[in-house]
Amino acid sequence: MARILIVDDDPDIIEAMRVVLENRGHQVDSAFDGAKAMEKITANKPDLVILDVMMTTPQEGFNLARQLKQDCKTAQIPILMLTAVKQKTGIDFKPEAGDETWLPVEGYLDKPVRPDVLIEKVEALLHKA
Amino acid sequence: MEEILQSPSMAKRAIWLANLRWVAIGALVVATFVSSRFLGVHLASRQLYYLAGALLVYNAALYGLLRWLTRGRDEPPSRAIGRVISLQISGDLAILTTILHFAGGIENPFAFFFVFHMIIASILRSRIESYIQAGLACVLFGAMVILEYTGLLSHHPLEGFAGHGLYRDGIFVLGSLFVFCVTLFLVVYMTTSIAQQVRDQQEELELANRQLQEKDKLKNEYVLRVSHDVKGHLAAIQSCIDTVYDGLLGPLNHAQKDMIGRAHRRTAQALAFVTDLLKLTHMKMAGKVEISCFPIRQVVAKAIGAVKDRAEAKSVSLTAEISASLDIICGEQLLIEETLENLLFNAVKYTPEGGKVRLEVLDQGKQVVIHVRDTGIGIPWDEMPRIFEEFYRASNARTVDREGTGLGLSFAKQVVERHGGQITVQNNQAGGCTFTIILPKGSDRSIAQKTVL
Repeated sequence: MARILIVDDDPDIIEAMRVVLENRGHQVDSAFDGAKAMEKITANKPDLVILDVMMTTPQEGFNLARQLKQDCKTAQIPILMLTAVKQKTGIDFKPEAGDETWLPVEGYLDKPVRPDVLIEKVEALLHKA
Repeated sequence: MEEILQSPSMAKRAIWLANLRWVAIGALVVATFVSSRFLGVHLASRQLYYLAGALLVYNAALYGLLRWLTRGRDEPPSRAIGRVISLQISGDLAILTTILHFAGGIENPFAFFFVFHMIIASILRSRIESYIQAGLACVLFGAMVILEYTGLLSHHPLEGFAGHGLYRDGIFVLGSLFVFCVTLFLVVYMTTSIAQQVRDQQEELELANRQLQEKDKLKNEYVLRVSHDVKGHLAAIQSCIDTVYDGLLGPLNHAQKDMIGRAHRRTAQALAFVTDLLKLTHMKMAGKVEISCFPIRQVVAKAIGAVKDRAEAKSVSLTAEISASLDIICGEQLLIEETLENLLFNAVKYTPEGGKVRLEVLDQGKQVVIHVRDTGIGIPWDEMPRIFEEFYRASNARTVDREGTGLGLSFAKQVVERHGGQITVQNNQAGGCTFTIILPKGSDRSIAQKTVL
């Protein structure tokens, strides 16, 4: 199945998602911060990245996503973004806004994510990719 | 100088004074006419009519000046308005003295009218200025009566009214002048001391109000921090419980499934509560809403879509009507969407099976009027006033659903008021209740102005 990297600063969330995804036969790796994630992505390109918006700094998730999308080697990796409260994260859901807050990530989910919702979304993204 | 009135009301007062002067000019003309024609009082009518004419010009100029100063401004320049008021008072003192001179001088009892100007000065202007105005009145009036007494200024007697010759009676002139001045200064003394007290109290209130706002802000920050933190933990707990509950770590027996199910539900409730609290607090702390213009139809369709399944599951009929003329409105789309969704969600929740929920979105010129009608359990009338309070849940709502957070309607109220609108609720005669939102269609500018706190 697919290789998935979960980037989140909460180890319990990572563990719970790992159980859900491994149960579906996916291979799961994790990183606690942006730098570690970048390292793992360059060393071993995953099929999908699940990314928490709010990490040590509120913008860390965004910055990582932007970095990945700007590099042509990683730009095609689908990113699933996890958000806490959707309208307050600064994400503009309308692509026509065109400012720097708009990010071409492939999907958003509100935290906490129900296992069935997570599986559905992840597999839809992998299928598309 | 500490103004007793905020500058918008200062401006109103200044215009009020100018308006009073129109009346006074009219009264002067009528009084002159009636006294000279019907009461047989001999008056220098011609001069008085000229004076009235001059007054008309003077007042028109003042009026124009005030209109120009306040034109199109919410916050007129209070210093300039204050100066115009001072000018009006001093000008009136001079004019009143001139009128009295042409109408009997010290023999004319209208000299009492100086008291009005002292009261107005004492309330609207500073203590020092009020005493200066009283001094000015004494000097003007004193000069007039003394010049008439000495014959340097001609006397225009009120023949047929007061015994003429009094203006030449030194004791009477001095005595009257003394009482006149003492009266003015006493009026100023009394009125300014009362006005000062009011001013002090107002200042105290303003200070207390500022402190309250400061505390409220601190409280909001505190709530935000705590609930954000708690939410992180709850999200992790929920995710962990879910894996067990869904049997991903192996099958559960009935008792295990039941117990973990309880934990699952309670965590979900706690999460919903904390999420609502976060949203509400964010809303309260946000200085303004982020305005964009969007088709209202789209928002209505989304909100209906969000509750459709739930209504169908309960066989509650869900219908919507939108005025054909409605198109674009301006506001924060996500917030308005969520508010509509909230109200529809409540309506479906508190409407028993087979009931009806109806959404009406009506075009009323500059406003959109939204009704959410249901045939549900209604709201006990004595609890109506509290229904929008934070954490408040109607007694009958609690029996239908134990899990509500009591924050949904507070959030709706915050959103609507942020947009310069109103939200109200009424019980229907046939049962159930109707929530009504009146929302200005707004433009980028109008809403932004209203919401800057």
